[in-house]
Amino acid sequence: MIDSPVLKVRDLYVTYQSSFGPVPAVRGVDLDIALGETLGLAGESGCGKSTLAMALLRLVPPATQISGSILLDGQSVLTMKPGQLRLVRWAQASIVFQGAQHVLNPVQRIGSQIDEAIQLHHGSTSSTVREMLALVGLSDGCADDYPHELSGGQKQRVMIAMALSCNPLLIIADEPTTALDVMVQAQILQLLDNIKRERGLSMLFITHDLSVLSHNTDRVAVMYAGRIVEVGPAEELLRGSIHPYSRALAESFPIIGDPKSRHQPKGLAGDPPDPNSLPSGCPFHPRCNVAIDSCKSIDIKLSAVTKSIDRQVACVHANDESRSVK
Amino acid sequence: MSIEAVQVSPRQMTWLRRRRALLRVWRELRHDRSGFTGLLLLVFFGVVAAAAPLIADRSELLAAAGRNNPDLAAPSAKFLLGTDDIGRSVLSQLVWGSRVSLFIGLLATVVAVVIGSTVGLISGYVKGRVGSLLLAIDDFFLVVPFLPLAIVLAVILGRSPVTLALVIGFTSWAGSARLVRAQVLSLSERGYVERARALGANSRHVILRHVLPGVAPLIIANATLIVPGAILTESTLSFLGFGDRLSPSWGKLLDGAQSSGSITLNAWWYYLPPGICIITVVLAFTLFGRALERIFDPRLAGR
Amino acid sequence: MNFLYVTKKLLSAFLTLIAVVIFNFFLFRVVDRDPLAKYRGRSKLSIAQREIMIERLGLNGSKWQQFITYIKSTARLDFGRSFDSTRPVLREISDRLPATLLLVGISTILTILIGVYIGARAGWQRGSRFDRVSTSATMVLYATPEFFFGMLLLAFIAGRTGWFPTGGLRDVGADTSGFASILDRAHHLVLPSLTLTLGYLGSYSLIMRTSMLETLGEDYLTTARAKGLRDRDVMMRHAVPNALLPSVSFIAISFGFVIGGAITTETVFSYPGLGLATADAIRNTDLPMLQALFLVASSAVIIFNLLADLTYGLLDPRIGRAK
Repeated sequence: MIDSPVLKVRDLYVTYQSSFGPVPAVRGVDLDIALGETLGLAGESGCGKSTLAMALLRLVPPATQISGSILLDGQSVLTMKPGQLRLVRWAQASIVFQGAQHVLNPVQRIGSQIDEAIQLHHGSTSSTVREMLALVGLSDGCADDYPHELSGGQKQRVMIAMALSCNPLLIIADEPTTALDVMVQAQILQLLDNIKRERGLSMLFITHDLSVLSHNTDRVAVMYAGRIVEVGPAEELLRGSIHPYSRALAESFPIIGDPKSRHQPKGLAGDPPDPNSLPSGCPFHPRCNVAIDSCKSIDIKLSAVTKSIDRQVACVHANDESRSVK
Repeated sequence: MSIEAVQVSPRQMTWLRRRRALLRVWRELRHDRSGFTGLLLLVFFGVVAAAAPLIADRSELLAAAGRNNPDLAAPSAKFLLGTDDIGRSVLSQLVWGSRVSLFIGLLATVVAVVIGSTVGLISGYVKGRVGSLLLAIDDFFLVVPFLPLAIVLAVILGRSPVTLALVIGFTSWAGSARLVRAQVLSLSERGYVERARALGANSRHVILRHVLPGVAPLIIANATLIVPGAILTESTLSFLGFGDRLSPSWGKLLDGAQSSGSITLNAWWYYLPPGICIITVVLAFTLFGRALERIFDPRLAGR
Repeated sequence: MNFLYVTKKLLSAFLTLIAVVIFNFFLFRVVDRDPLAKYRGRSKLSIAQREIMIERLGLNGSKWQQFITYIKSTARLDFGRSFDSTRPVLREISDRLPATLLLVGISTILTILIGVYIGARAGWQRGSRFDRVSTSATMVLYATPEFFFGMLLLAFIAGRTGWFPTGGLRDVGADTSGFASILDRAHHLVLPSLTLTLGYLGSYSLIMRTSMLETLGEDYLTTARAKGLRDRDVMMRHAVPNALLPSVSFIAISFGFVIGGAITTETVFSYPGLGLATADAIRNTDLPMLQALFLVASSAVIIFNLLADLTYGLLDPRIGRAK
């Protein structure tokens, strides 16, 4: 199982074309997600995490360049013909988009939007709209509704029902709880968690909010300026991040169940870098409070740390004893 | 040299800023292929209209001028575009016609823009009864079919070119009022209009000093797009019998060509040139206007 | 779409109609200071004749009394007699209405179908060859007065090939009943409806193209693509139904232009409908006819706008659908 991950991404580069020239949004990313595993992918908006998600199914604008390799259940997504790609989309990997406000067609009934996917990929395992709605806790009647008649939480349930309708191996959840209020957020997270467990699904869970990753992910990767700067088991990483960026990101949100963190929220100064003109060396050094001179010129590659074989960090301080877990 | 000497007065500042903005528009226009083509065509027609007396004598338009010429004669060295059904040179009429068509088109646009901007500015700025009344009037004029209205007004008020221009202007302002109003509303949402009002400026001052400059580029681009419509309307009205046969616009020429039977007589030199002139000028204004729209409103770029 | 929405739209159409009727009075009795002067040169009228005309046109009494008379007769669809033919205006109009309805109806349907198709495809494939060629072509179509199209069609198709008649409603002396007569009518309709269609195709397809461009960036299109839909299906099932919405109202507003186009087109082809009647009324300064024709044209636009509003209500579930 470890040998043949559901998703295997190697050296992925995604470069947009803009009127100002090429914009490198993802710059050499490696990822593995095993069967039944959930990987959390965290980072500020603009770090390339959504681009990465879209690139997995080649849903980027036509002029965008993608290089590297993406193996989804062993099949190479980047070299597929369009016809085969359409068969893989939704049937192998589906997406729960962020903010279901505009991701549902406003003039089509909910039922037929779910049914459209089922009809497209009908096979022996296909399910009915009714089953899917029941699975996410919605009544049959919702099938006849239009998106504007549902609440934000209901729409996100519809989105999840739609994502599950073709029995995919992998679900890519792109900020699935952003724009929902806290109570609903918790419900949706719970729902995703239950379904994942019941069906043994793999999941890529993308968020800017590290706190939502704490109890439903197996591993966490932190992304900055188009690269993964730290990856490791969720528990370990969330409790004690090594990369100064992960640390800052973790501190900017209160950790659920830790009253201390709530009283000392620490924001991260400055803005994420403009992908058009990345800083030299380590792209994080202008915002980093522990940067040393060499950070301005040398960009450290992601590599294993000595204290844990499961963890990789891209920082010059990665193996400093003084920066270890407190 | 004292410090005062290098200081720039606010007025000069404003002019400097405007000059810089104009230069920017020019630079962008230079790189907009279709817009620049439109501008070149407009310059060409402008020059022809201005130079009409140098190209052909006005007396050639008189009915008597054609008395000794053959009727509906094909193009020749003497008449480059042949003659019409009473022996007058088609080319001379075409050249003088550019004056009539452009004059009516431009005057009508001025009328439409003045009414449209005023209604748009006031209905966007003034809330309450006045605003909603103006909005209702605007709605009404959007629905009333403008050509039948223009026809009725022209029949009642008279058929001279100036009357036609006023009538066309009066029937084509509703769309731009709507456009200006929307822009005013979106400007009002930004803070500075509120701020000016809070500082005690009266409505007149706020509208003229703060709102109008904000909507001016839109008004200019919109005006450039009203001209082609006005020229088309003028040609339609002339074709339907309005206008003056002795000082014909291009539309009036088409009316003459149609009623003299030039089509069945295969006298293409009579009906093709005025039609082609109308199409070219309308196209030129449209291309130019759309380019201005793109420059003033970057959201539209790439359309 | 619910009852409230329909009622609201019906009411607003009715109010606009009332406003048009009042405006019509204003035009012909207030803007026009002396309508009688336009009755074929006033010098020929004796005092007795003048009295009769004043009575007949409802010009006696104060403006207010005239208004009451006007409203009463308009409500009875009594528009007086034509200056030109002296027949009742209502009769003239009802005789010619069917021909125009047919012409405008066919042309409008064709224009909407073809315009929406071209605009949708051009917008979807923005920047493609199809987009470049069709956009240039629609700009030229837009710039061409429709009667010039008519003249070109007459000269180069009817004149040169003789495939189509050059004008009229039917052949002189032709059988006026049965299938042959329908064919004959259709034969006479081809060039006029082609003229009117070409005349307004440009604006309709530009409208649809713009709406399409506005939907291109919508998230639900990405959802549809992610589901594995073909590009064609993403366009037809998701982009077009949404892009149609803003187009509906714009197309309704442009319908007023088609009405104008019918006037010149009928003139070019001597097609005896309301458009030709308008052109004749202009040349004869036939005020009673013009007054009624203006009312008919405005009513047509109001009705078309109402239909567009109702269509919008059907297409967009967000409009007044009570939960």
